[in-house]
Amino acid sequence: MFKNKADKLWYGFIAVAFILPFVPGVIGGSFFGHVATMILLYAAMAQSWNIISGYCGQTSFGHSVFFGIGAYGAALAVVNFNSLPWYGAPLGMLAAAAVSVVISYPCFKLKGHYFAIATFAIVEIFNRLFMIWDTIGGALGLDYPILPDGWKNFSWSDTKNGYYLGALAIFILVFSVVRWIERHRMGYYLRAVREGQETAESLGVNSAVVKLSAMALSASLAALCGAFFAQYNYRVDPPMVMSLDMSMKFVLITILGGIGTFWGPFLGALVLIPLQEYTRAYLSHLGAGVDLMIFGLIIIIVMIKQPLGIMGLIRYFTKRKVAKGEGDA
Amino acid sequence: MLIRKRSTIAVLMVLALSLMICSSAFAADKVIKIGALFPLTGPAAVSGQNCVNSVLAAADVINKANPDINAPLAAKEGLLNGYKIEIVKADHQGKPDVAKSEAERLYNQEKVFAVIGSYNSSATKPASAVAERAKKIFMCGCSSSAALTERDYKYFFRHAPTDAIESKEFVEYIEYLNKEKKAGIKTLGLIYENTEFGKHAAEEAHKAAKHSGLKVVADVPFNNGATNLNSEVQTLKAANPDAVFGAALGGDYSLWVRTMKQVNWLPKIAINYCTGYQNPAVQKELAGDGDYFMGGMGYSPELAKTFMPEAIKIEKKYYTPRSNQPFDSDSIQEGVMLFVLAQAIEKAGSLDTEKVAQILRTEEFPSVMSLSGKVKFEPGGQNVHALSVITQIKDLDYKTVFPLKYQKAEPVFPMTPWDKR
Amino acid sequence: MSNFVQVLIDGILSGLLYALVSAGLSMMWGVMDVINFAHGEFLMVAMYLCYWIGEILGIDPLFSWIAGGIFLFIIGALTYKLIIKNSLGKAAMAPLLATFGLSMLLKNFCMNRFTPNFRLLSGTIMEGKTFEFAGAIVSVPQLVTAIFSLAVLLSVYWLIKKTRVGWAIQATAMDKEAAELMGIDTENIYLLVFGIGGACVGVAGGLMTTYLAVHPEVGGLFSLIAFVVVALGGFGSIPGALFAALLIGLVESFAGFYIAAVVKYVAVFAIYLVVILIRPKGLFGW
Repeated sequence: MFKNKADKLWYGFIAVAFILPFVPGVIGGSFFGHVATMILLYAAMAQSWNIISGYCGQTSFGHSVFFGIGAYGAALAVVNFNSLPWYGAPLGMLAAAAVSVVISYPCFKLKGHYFAIATFAIVEIFNRLFMIWDTIGGALGLDYPILPDGWKNFSWSDTKNGYYLGALAIFILVFSVVRWIERHRMGYYLRAVREGQETAESLGVNSAVVKLSAMALSASLAALCGAFFAQYNYRVDPPMVMSLDMSMKFVLITILGGIGTFWGPFLGALVLIPLQEYTRAYLSHLGAGVDLMIFGLIIIIVMIKQPLGIMGLIRYFTKRKVAKGEGDA
Repeated sequence: MLIRKRSTIAVLMVLALSLMICSSAFAADKVIKIGALFPLTGPAAVSGQNCVNSVLAAADVINKANPDINAPLAAKEGLLNGYKIEIVKADHQGKPDVAKSEAERLYNQEKVFAVIGSYNSSATKPASAVAERAKKIFMCGCSSSAALTERDYKYFFRHAPTDAIESKEFVEYIEYLNKEKKAGIKTLGLIYENTEFGKHAAEEAHKAAKHSGLKVVADVPFNNGATNLNSEVQTLKAANPDAVFGAALGGDYSLWVRTMKQVNWLPKIAINYCTGYQNPAVQKELAGDGDYFMGGMGYSPELAKTFMPEAIKIEKKYYTPRSNQPFDSDSIQEGVMLFVLAQAIEKAGSLDTEKVAQILRTEEFPSVMSLSGKVKFEPGGQNVHALSVITQIKDLDYKTVFPLKYQKAEPVFPMTPWDKR
Repeated sequence: MSNFVQVLIDGILSGLLYALVSAGLSMMWGVMDVINFAHGEFLMVAMYLCYWIGEILGIDPLFSWIAGGIFLFIIGALTYKLIIKNSLGKAAMAPLLATFGLSMLLKNFCMNRFTPNFRLLSGTIMEGKTFEFAGAIVSVPQLVTAIFSLAVLLSVYWLIKKTRVGWAIQATAMDKEAAELMGIDTENIYLLVFGIGGACVGVAGGLMTTYLAVHPEVGGLFSLIAFVVVALGGFGSIPGALFAALLIGLVESFAGFYIAAVVKYVAVFAIYLVVILIRPKGLFGW
């Protein structure tokens, strides 16, 4: 039925993840449900970043802008227009894609660190403008009113199952897009641009179009995650969604898991999110900031020892076994 | 090779999953768990830690036999015939999304009866929304955003005076000065950090000023954590208002005061919301430069001597050993909320959330740590007896100047200019 | 008119401060093409050091900046030895992300040890000293910092342009392999560059303790501004950094007073974007 082993792994994973909320007591209202939902959400966020930065090689620290636009899309629809997030989220995605193209078109001229610092500046500009833009809440942010539970309002209070399934849907969407890219011509174009723009151009790849479309796709998927984040927290304000901290999360999760790989963003989220949530919940009594110190140390060690992250580690072990002749299946 | 790769991934996943599920929950008899959700790390951590210490001090007063303290529930051990209160600490880092998920963890996982929190108004909002949806009690000590009690929540109770109440009091004080002392204050300048807190305060200040005919000539929001406040203070100086209302926390407050000194300008009167002004540590570092500023306060050691003798006992016995400093007007209110909650539980006679909430909504509670001595909540959860006084600082001493009922000293007015100090 | 002069002077003074903070970063970037994300935290560490020296030993920041410079030289060199060296050339952004980890570590370490309290030295020699100049008020501590800034920038510039070590640094920056063939120990050059980079920010931090409160988050905005200054000035150019820092300081000051205080950083980052899009390698870049 499935063409190869990668397919089996993928569909098997979806099946297991889908069944979880139907096993009583696993997700429900538990803290584990929260952590599982966050793993799926952050994995999807990191994967959306991976499209432009991993596959296409344009390291952006500005993804929290698109994430934030998506969050504001959903929240504005609900809070300011008494409408449903189902209308706000797609509008947010469109807006994010449009903004990303407008911003990126000039910025793609910049190379290396110049590009990275330009994206920092963009986050700061958006953050501070949203802070003083009073029609969308300004520094006060937007708070959700209490709405009836259910899929219509995409809001639940007693159980996490709905949120979990929502996050899973986003996860599947984003990862499927990347699976499609990997197998499609688009994937080859992206990698060609990453490996060298001039060479790619000489092979007839229009690098500007490739980069802009990858950016627009990446931004709109990040915006979808943002809309979910607003729904999940009943609130949105600029420091919460449009900050360098949030941008760094996109980057760190992907890098830790393995940049430019399919499973990397998921593995990164699988390690970082529980670490973050459980250390905060159960270690914060050790004293202020100990969890974040551990966090920083892990990042340093990963960067020094294995810049390809967890995927690099896995490849290293599997290759070594092959080399030892211990068996290739 | 693919199988190897897959199995490694699988092993990693299983490991991670088992790690997550291994979160334990201990259950002991006769314990009432109360969550204390505060910013224990991040920019507001000092205040958050003070708040937790205040809650812990209140818990000690209730749990242990304290015949020396004349407060409800102090004399005998525990409440409800032997129940003890256990405080479960949680950290929201000053982030609304973390506050929301930690509130859920406290209610769902730790099974706390109620949560006390959360200092930052922006964190209190989503955390109390969790409580309201789950029909659980949320007790809020010192978050000051007026919006919190305008949501018509049924399970939310707040002790502190709001920005709205404080703004009205500030303006009343100015009217009093104009009438009694011929102060001639006609114009008002606002300087505030552009955050949820500062913005709310400024909005209320605008409303109050409009009501009494004060003209707002300068409205200066600034980015908190700025590298300098030169342009901000220069803008104030150029507009030269008679009075300034300030909302700048911690380091921004000292930077603001120092920058005003640098440009050699002062308004006739400067009144601060709940900010760096109330922090004795900040004032100490400003040395004499912080003198003659004013601010709203719900607690000061001097006020406590006359009006809250029991609070001083509690402070000496349980609070100062933990935090090495006296109560401040923020932290003390969090302890008050635990006392109020415990009294409501005792009156209800059981741990029935509905019953306890009903008592909280209707009854009036004596409170030895509140300036007004009592606490009663109106619909929406605001404490109708919320009270703050205006103090003026001189030589690290907060002297009450208004309302007249509590007055301890005549105000130094207008503020002594920099070159005459 | 006096407003205009005041705003102008404020802009120049804060511009020179930014130049001092950015000088070290500019060197690291210029020579090694590395962005030290922990730069703001280096500043914070220096401020804490000089704060405690002032608080415990009673030595004024006017002198203790030397200690700040030396200590940060060591921290900078250690950062190179332990982190940069091992992450250089492994992945595109590895040094940047590793130093991001370092910044988290330093920030939270200071939070844990010193609490997030704001700490401000009182009773320092230069505290609150001002004088009038053309109808504007000039703050002495800021003026002294500005003079130091010019001195430090000049000596670094002199070091790079006029000394043998400086030529070795330039050679290493241009072509590492060629420099090695010429017998230059590029390892030591890198170490030196990171040390000097740290020392510059150490001096800045030391002097700033006179008028700015220190707390664990103090470095955040400074490091962002330093990034912008360095990128605006152009790849490792010290005159470029000076010029860019002055531009940033003036934009901040004028936008803050004549538009609105709350948009001053928006203006700073926006002007950077505009310039960088016209000159993608910065003002003095090549």
